[in-house]
Amino acid sequence: MKISRKRKGGVSIPTASTGDIAFLLIIFFMSTTKFDVKEGIKLVLPAMAPDSAEGKAETIQLGEDKMTRLQILEDGSIILNKEAARRIEDAELDAIIQQKLRVNQDMIFRVITDRNAQYNDMIRVVDRLKAQNAEKISLSTN
Amino acid sequence: MAKISRPKDRDVAIPEGSTADIAFLLLLFFMVTTVFVQEKQFWVARDRWPKAQSIERIPRNNTATIYVMKNETILIDDVPSKIESEEDVYVRNALVAKKAENPEIIICFRTDRETKYGAMSDVMRQLQDAETLVVAFEAQKRD
Repeated sequence: MKISRKRKGGVSIPTASTGDIAFLLIIFFMSTTKFDVKEGIKLVLPAMAPDSAEGKAETIQLGEDKMTRLQILEDGSIILNKEAARRIEDAELDAIIQQKLRVNQDMIFRVITDRNAQYNDMIRVVDRLKAQNAEKISLSTN
Repeated sequence: MAKISRPKDRDVAIPEGSTADIAFLLLLFFMVTTVFVQEKQFWVARDRWPKAQSIERIPRNNTATIYVMKNETILIDDVPSKIESEEDVYVRNALVAKKAENPEIIICFRTDRETKYGAMSDVMRQLQDAETLVVAFEAQKRD
């Protein structure tokens, strides 16, 4: 008996749907891609002062016309320069900062925060300073 | 009178032979730019960050993140530590190593808004020791 040999058919991979698959993959990557950019308040910390025992550190006294001292207490109240401690709301803080900057555009704002105060209170003051375009902000580490 | 011949209607078609190539190029772009964030755990949830108005965008490629939790635990690269005395210099050593890898590094703080400032102050002091002075306090955008 003669066994008939199967005819060899043309073998090819179907490529018609390649574009569709690629577009599906694009949609997947577009919907899952997250351009991870962080957002926050950027500051440059002062460099560590050289050891005063070596005689390298130099102390400069700055008057209120050049430096404003904002001391944040444990309960969130603020001592502005030598005034009594009180709660200062955002709007009033903005007005104070603007007034200080009008007196001296290069005013240095020194933010001294109590160790037991909340981090949020420090951020609030620094945020108001940044919002009013104060450029010279000094954070104390105590 | 001369006969004006009417122009024949041409077959107009948009060539779509290269659609798949364009699709693959787009695909390559997204595959190359996708970053899968490798943090094991999000130690301080976003809704615990402070809120601020004047926040800036900070590109991620030059940053290192320090988490400071409410209980004053500090996490760098998912390794917890605490600063209880001046001898606890894990943070400083980690930052010195990071600064050596990338001198332009920006330290991003993800701190719980109710953390006591003392913990932050201790970390910032060690930042100064390690001479990593550019910092960013991550915050939620305030309306």
